[in-house]
Amino acid sequence: MAQETNEKAAATPVTMVTLTIDGQSVTVPKGKTVLEAARSVGIDIPTFCHHPKLKSVGSCRICYVEIEKMPKLQVSCATEAMDGMVVSTNSDQVKQGRRAVIEFILLNHPLDCPTCDKGGECDLQNLTFAHGTDDSRNDFQKTRFREDDMSTTFDDKSIGPEIVLNRNRCILCYKCVRSNKDAFGEYDLGVYERGNIAQIDSAPGEQVDNPFSGNLVEICPVGALTNRDWRYKIRVWLTETTPSVDNFQSSGSNITFSKERQKNKIYRVTSRPNDDIDDGWLPDITRYGYQIVNSPDRLKKPLIKKGGTQVEVSWDEALDTIAKRLANIKDSKGSVCIGGLAAPSLDNRSLYGFSKFFRKVLHSNNVDYRSDCRMLPSSSDTICSRLAMQPFSISDLDDSDVIVVFGSDLIREHHNEYLRMRKAFNFNGARLFSITPYAVKAADIAELEVVHRPGKEEFVLQAVCQAAVEDRLVDDQTAGRFREQVGNVDLTELCRSAGISTDSVKQIARALASGKKISFVVGEIVTRSREREPIAAAICNLNKLFGLHDKGQVAILARYANSKGAQKLGVVPVPHKMLVDKMNVLWSETPSCEAHNTDAMLALLKKEEIDSLFVLGANPMMVYPDLQFAREGLERADFLVACDLFETETTQLADVVLPLCSWAEYDGDYVNLEGRNQTARAAIKPIGESRTGFDIMAALAARFEASDLFEVDAIESEISQMLAIADTPALPQEYTQVRASEDKEKDGFDIPLYLCDDPHHSGHLTEKSPSLAEFSGEAYAEISFDLANRLKLRNGESVRVESPVGKIIIPVKISEILNTDVVLLPRNFSSTPTTALMMRKRRVDMVKLSKVDD
Amino acid sequence: MSFYSPVITNASEATSNEKLHLFKYVEDPQQHKSEIFESHGGYTAWRKVLGGMSTQQVIDEVKNSGLRGRGGAGFPTGMKWGFVPKNSPKPTYLCCNADESEPGTCKDRVLMERDPHGVIEGMAIAAYAIGCHIMFIYIRGEFNHCIERMEEAAREARERGHLGENIYGSGYDLEMIVHSGGGAYICGEETALLNSLEGERGMSRIRPPIPAIEGLYASPTIVNNVESLAAVPHIINRGADWYKALGTEKSTGTKLFSLSGHVKRPGNFEVELGFSLEKLIYDPEYGGGILDDKKLKGVIPGGASTPFLTPEMINVGLDYESLTTVGSMLGSGAVMVFHEGTCIVWIIKKLIHFFRHESCGKCTPCREGTGWLENMINRIEAGQGQPGDIEKIEEVCGNILGRTICPLGDAAVMPIQSAIKNWREEWQYHIDHGKCQVETDFSFR
Repeated sequence: MAQETNEKAAATPVTMVTLTIDGQSVTVPKGKTVLEAARSVGIDIPTFCHHPKLKSVGSCRICYVEIEKMPKLQVSCATEAMDGMVVSTNSDQVKQGRRAVIEFILLNHPLDCPTCDKGGECDLQNLTFAHGTDDSRNDFQKTRFREDDMSTTFDDKSIGPEIVLNRNRCILCYKCVRSNKDAFGEYDLGVYERGNIAQIDSAPGEQVDNPFSGNLVEICPVGALTNRDWRYKIRVWLTETTPSVDNFQSSGSNITFSKERQKNKIYRVTSRPNDDIDDGWLPDITRYGYQIVNSPDRLKKPLIKKGGTQVEVSWDEALDTIAKRLANIKDSKGSVCIGGLAAPSLDNRSLYGFSKFFRKVLHSNNVDYRSDCRMLPSSSDTICSRLAMQPFSISDLDDSDVIVVFGSDLIREHHNEYLRMRKAFNFNGARLFSITPYAVKAADIAELEVVHRPGKEEFVLQAVCQAAVEDRLVDDQTAGRFREQVGNVDLTELCRSAGISTDSVKQIARALASGKKISFVVGEIVTRSREREPIAAAICNLNKLFGLHDKGQVAILARYANSKGAQKLGVVPVPHKMLVDKMNVLWSETPSCEAHNTDAMLALLKKEEIDSLFVLGANPMMVYPDLQFAREGLERADFLVACDLFETETTQLADVVLPLCSWAEYDGDYVNLEGRNQTARAAIKPIGESRTGFDIMAALAARFEASDLFEVDAIESEISQMLAIADTPALPQEYTQVRASEDKEKDGFDIPLYLCDDPHHSGHLTEKSPSLAEFSGEAYAEISFDLANRLKLRNGESVRVESPVGKIIIPVKISEILNTDVVLLPRNFSSTPTTALMMRKRRVDMVKLSKVDD
Repeated sequence: MSFYSPVITNASEATSNEKLHLFKYVEDPQQHKSEIFESHGGYTAWRKVLGGMSTQQVIDEVKNSGLRGRGGAGFPTGMKWGFVPKNSPKPTYLCCNADESEPGTCKDRVLMERDPHGVIEGMAIAAYAIGCHIMFIYIRGEFNHCIERMEEAAREARERGHLGENIYGSGYDLEMIVHSGGGAYICGEETALLNSLEGERGMSRIRPPIPAIEGLYASPTIVNNVESLAAVPHIINRGADWYKALGTEKSTGTKLFSLSGHVKRPGNFEVELGFSLEKLIYDPEYGGGILDDKKLKGVIPGGASTPFLTPEMINVGLDYESLTTVGSMLGSGAVMVFHEGTCIVWIIKKLIHFFRHESCGKCTPCREGTGWLENMINRIEAGQGQPGDIEKIEEVCGNILGRTICPLGDAAVMPIQSAIKNWREEWQYHIDHGKCQVETDFSFR
């Protein structure tokens, strides 16, 4: 995919300029700065305020160069490279200029390096070493920012749950404020006062707690911004680093673990910038999520339920028990009575081993990785699944001129894509359109935000198509074909049903018709909807009508770290035909018995037609959107095995619990949402006696005398063959009639409920990270200001949320974004089982809210 | 009396001299009213423009007149307008820079208080020339009276059809927004002004892009000084040749000078460019000589940011070129006069305090350097100067000059450098003896 992008770039003609830097001839595309030109040939120019992903401001002045015919020193970060320029980066004047800037910066810098966490990786320290002098000519008291105690250089102002600011150390490069605003779209940090008492601070009355705040610490060139995660714990030179990949997000940000030598403890996660994926920005989930690895709550030994309580046992005993019970069930009731759920955050080898164990050793097709979806179709070759297999590239968002976000609250689901979209808007002037059932943060930069009535997704899409046909935005032949196959629908009626204005759909239709490069991204609100198929059909109609595929990308975004891998490796009951064909080749056969997905497995468990469930890293008890249904199923299982990092609601019910390694403890490959296969290296040794998913599957296979099927080299080769299947299934050639079914109204339940992720959490594991818990530590019901007003609720007061099946009492959070009657519940907190309110057969869950009177 | 303190205009010369136009009616207490302004020939240029001049004709007329920016830099106004890209898909904006904050300068204030419609007419013609339909005037926050007058005038102009939709039936629409600044000297620098107008922190932007290409809201924007714009209607009315005949060859027209300090008759004077500085100070019609008939020590000819002139240099024409040849600048036209009873270190201490306070904090040399300079100069003034301080100050000045984003850094150090160059022995005396060589005489206050 990366290659493809490069080819595209090469195709557009770029004017080149040639200049001379330090006697060396350099040719770069027009528009590059002198700094970029110099760095492209390995000539280093020092910088403080420059950041490759932000606009240049030229404020620190350390990057001076001398350019012939220009009498003054020029800042290379803000000077465009021109043909014929003769640049010197090391003349006496440049050296003098740099020395002067270092001297100026050190005037008020406390030089408390021995107690500064940045020491050893500080830009100021390094550049002073390289370009400064060893003595100061300043004999005045330095500026001090701590009012209560002027004698100390410590400032230690807490400006957020994680960030501590030391204004004395700050050299005012403004990178934090600029990135916060330009890259993340957040305004909780600013500059106050001016001159040499100018200072960075959180906005009045606010905390720097946005979901990207960790980046501010990472890009600080000095120790002015530090985070509690890393402060005063270890000196950087005592750590060693391991390259890895994020395990909480589907884009697979590239990260680096720092661990202490000889010790089995990770100290932090920093970015390993990859412009194709993350641009060097990490969401806080990625940065602080690693803390779960060293959590004291980790499961360290296998457990077996004996006489009602789970007791620690040896691995041999646990595995022998599992093998015996599974063999028993397989022999007595048939392998169709065994099912398995795997987590989509596991590596390829674990997922593949899991699938292979079930299919090849147990001869069961009951495997699934989608334990958070309800009412899944039994077939895998549906329009929705085909749409999910379409190619998608994160970096293609950069130069898209029209981006439509459909059914996704990006800041809760896809942080990297959220940032890319802002980048496309801020730097390339992309036009953004957001279509969601509730107002979302990402829409603050949208040209148009369409908030439709919940559960009416397909109506909006149909209306856009209809508007294009009516307004003759597509050619007559296409329009005729559409009319012929779909029929004429009344645009006004469609819009009225969806609760939107006709003007807004017309505006979207015009943008789609005129866009040159369009990205149409579809998110979880669609994939987790019961009516995902009709919606997908409507998307395909839209795609065909506007020819979106030919002018960009239309894709359903994969949600978890290895969802794409699970999809490509066929960890579903009925994989796509091309995957089954490959499995037949690799394994010489695949079982032909009935195949059941998550829903069916839970239903059959309840009916006692499935006896055993093997859960690898998943937690259906927390994420399946109908807790009662999940519990009834799991409680009736004759034999439940659960493997996890922690004790979860699911492991509590299990007969055997196996401790699972986290991704930081073994080498594993993960396929990100673009289909990019990336390797995460083991940073530390497994905690306790935990094992990887693959090791567990292989050890069980050995007990079924099938070790030969699990030889690592062969498995790796099979995985690469599976992943190499590149065929993208074709989308429907014709327009489809869109028929979705409606929920029956239930009296009194009038507020739609959406289950979502907190912007600082992902899945069921991150609440074990103390830092992330600082940002957001307990469940809440997010509602609009207006709704809260009507219910006479203030921020933090308890609200009773009732559905036909359950009731919870939960603190209310008044949203700055929501503007319709809807309640958002995060699913990341085990203390409040929000899925208890949901019913699996509903399209949109409805609840009623009431104030809790003391 | 409220916040309004009258500024002496010394306009008697102007009313009698046909060549002088900016101050012609400022002494009329009713001039700020549209009706009276119109009776004095106001808005005729605007009618003439909308009555059939093309934008290019307006630009050419101003270009030919040789009018140069009166804010300090002296950039040719017509040429600046010509930089606005033709057929840009974005809107273009005009912004009148009325953030008059240069110490010693108080000329724009008089125009806004006494002849606000003259400013509006100039702005309107400029807006038309660059194809702008929303024009702004960014007024220094402390100028409450100016803000009130301009707001009132803008309202009146709209009421009387000089602004608004379809002006004079020409089909041209123009709206005006009066914006009050927040009290920062730096916002007189055009890119900082635009940042501030956008609601951002007032800090300069790097160039390129120049505002004419990418200014307010990233759209083509022209920023002009009040005085420059106020001259435009007269150029349109009387023609470029008339204007060109005023002043010197390269510095055409008239200019307002704010004379302050140790002179007998301080105030604002409109004179032709090239007018003798000596005459401005000593002529009884103008400054009337040094206070108490003391000897002259030095003059800052163009606002606090320009280098000093010594008494032997003052026989010089007040125009862009002549002042450059004696090592100073015309700047904003604020002539500050100091007599022999003034300690040079005390003057500099006052100046550097201002610049340290007003440095926006964006770029390192200005932010840190002005603070360090103030520390060192305060120490010398307090009698605690150390040997080597003068050399250190000179070196720090050298590290700021020409190395900052905007001219504030240069403005801060140029008077210091010239003060040391011209009165070095006084600085040395201060360090050696711990006190002033010349006891500052505060009696004039």
